[in-house]
Amino acid sequence: MFEAKLANAALLKKIVEAIKDLVTDAPFDCSESAMCLQAMDSSHVALVSLKLEVGMFDTYRCDRTINLGLSLANMSKALKCANNDDTCMIKYEENDGDSITFTFADVKRDKTQDVTVKMMDIDSEHLGIPDQSYSVVCEMPASEFQKTCKDLATFSDSLNITATKAGIVFTGKGDIGTSVVTYSPSSNSDDESESVSLEVKRSSQPTALSDRVRLSLCNEVPVVVEYPIEDNGYLRFYLAPKIDDEENMD
Amino acid sequence: MGIKNLSQVIADNAASALKLNEMKTYFGRKVAIDASMCLYQFLIAVRQDGSQLQSEDGETTSHLMGMFYRTIRMIDNGIKPVYVFDGKPPDMKSGELEKRTEKRAEAEKQLVEAREKGDAKEVDKFERRLVKVTKQQNEEVKKLLQLMGVPLVEAPCEAEAQCAALVRHGKVFATATEDMDALTFGSNMLLRHMTFSEAKKMPIKEFNLARVLEEMEVTMEQFVDLCILLGCDYCGTIRGIGPKKALELIKQHKDIETILENIDQTKYPPPEDWPYKRARELFLQPDVANDDDITLNWKEPDVEGIVEFMCGEKNFNEDRIRSSLSRMQKSRNAGTQGRIDSFFTVSAQVKCTTAAKRKAAEEKEKAKKGAAKGKAGGPPAKRRPK
Repeated sequence: MFEAKLANAALLKKIVEAIKDLVTDAPFDCSESAMCLQAMDSSHVALVSLKLEVGMFDTYRCDRTINLGLSLANMSKALKCANNDDTCMIKYEENDGDSITFTFADVKRDKTQDVTVKMMDIDSEHLGIPDQSYSVVCEMPASEFQKTCKDLATFSDSLNITATKAGIVFTGKGDIGTSVVTYSPSSNSDDESESVSLEVKRSSQPTALSDRVRLSLCNEVPVVVEYPIEDNGYLRFYLAPKIDDEENMD
Repeated sequence: MGIKNLSQVIADNAASALKLNEMKTYFGRKVAIDASMCLYQFLIAVRQDGSQLQSEDGETTSHLMGMFYRTIRMIDNGIKPVYVFDGKPPDMKSGELEKRTEKRAEAEKQLVEAREKGDAKEVDKFERRLVKVTKQQNEEVKKLLQLMGVPLVEAPCEAEAQCAALVRHGKVFATATEDMDALTFGSNMLLRHMTFSEAKKMPIKEFNLARVLEEMEVTMEQFVDLCILLGCDYCGTIRGIGPKKALELIKQHKDIETILENIDQTKYPPPEDWPYKRARELFLQPDVANDDDITLNWKEPDVEGIVEFMCGEKNFNEDRIRSSLSRMQKSRNAGTQGRIDSFFTVSAQVKCTTAAKRKAAEEKEKAKKGAAKGKAGGPPAKRRPK
């Protein structure tokens, strides 16, 4: 059996909202040490990687490693029932058939609500993510990043990020015009210059998960957009860059 | 053509190896296309009022039309096509080719008959059967592809075998053909319907060889023997052994030698001097070009050259050709979106199976076992998801 309790339903709600447009169904991999999720979007441009360590939960029990297949749309429906301050218990029992129960409890009002969600058959692949040293790593307020992406999206489908020692520049260039946003670094950095093009609509996942977002860039490898979750977890988006194909389209 | 009933055998016995996808999910992928097969398709399918397209001087242009627009469709979807042309057929195919010549002669006779009767529908049917790709058409298509900047490879022998070799060596992602024997030649990915018309709205059918082998629980060698038993282009089959029996025998006896030792040859007579060993060798060690000699370059299309050839010589509409070319240019210049799964490699399969599905699968298994007179023990242990 698997049983885990979060102090705040809001956290799970935010996570699901942040990924449900990218990923429709996904396996939640529950092990003794953490609850994880890894899934690609349908066009295989982005990879979502979520990790919630045991420390994040009030209680956590997982007898054996298990993959719980869920539809994120259905999960979102279930979580909508919860108030943000409710505690959230996620429960799965082998004998219970094919569903997962979310129990939302409002401690002050002595109220609990059980919502069960049907599980899905999922046949997917996990990608191994190699260790990569990135030439640029920068942190910025998540709200700022989101606004920049939104601004650029009105001009262009793709977004170019160029980072130098002098700062980081986001460029969106389209048929109607160009938008350029420049940030100078607040702290000194020794990073090298890098330039990466991305598809903009995938990089602007609105996330109220955390205040800060960390971008890790390196030429010709996927960009990592990471939202730390408290101290014990993260939600990462790996975004494949656009490739210039001058010579052999390669 | 290809392997008889193989796609059905795969659908029945290795369903997870089969996927239906939209064409756009293959963006950024390099795909090797069996040119001879698709030219033939174009000559049959690209028609107006039932007859092939022709230029002013009465030459067929269906193949150019098909090649031009279907190639652009792929490039529009971010796919990088490579066309592979047949070389000379292997000696072993002579039997099959003879059969085809016979069939053509037959169709020719029937065509004359149908014409005499004035049955337009029958005439059309037999005319289609008589379609053959000429050398000139082959050359014209090669010229067009070169002008379009699309790479082409001349196979020393069978195109499917060459495509499969390109896939095996990681030069391309998949083979696109309707011919199922690309799998037998070891192409890990086979895509069907890639060169079909957009109007048909046919999804791409993807076959994954590794999964076929895994789910059927056979090795590559056993798979090749299975294909030979099903019926390939290179030799005959044992009479009386259909797809079901063939798979059963392969699983039980592992190879054709042992099968021949164990079956009642009076009941299931194998062909005389059955050259299955050579067919097997042909599949496992096909005659393909040296990998190092092949470089695949996608170049800028020569717009003026194409206009001159297609519109000047072949009477295509210039506006339409130009607008299609500019569309192709645009998708080329947009840069290719990288695929996340080309940066990270698959490390594990994840399976979430609900109890309901497990039960259904178990019952199916039981029914199967029941049909096989319930010899085997319990159902096989479920693979634990990692």
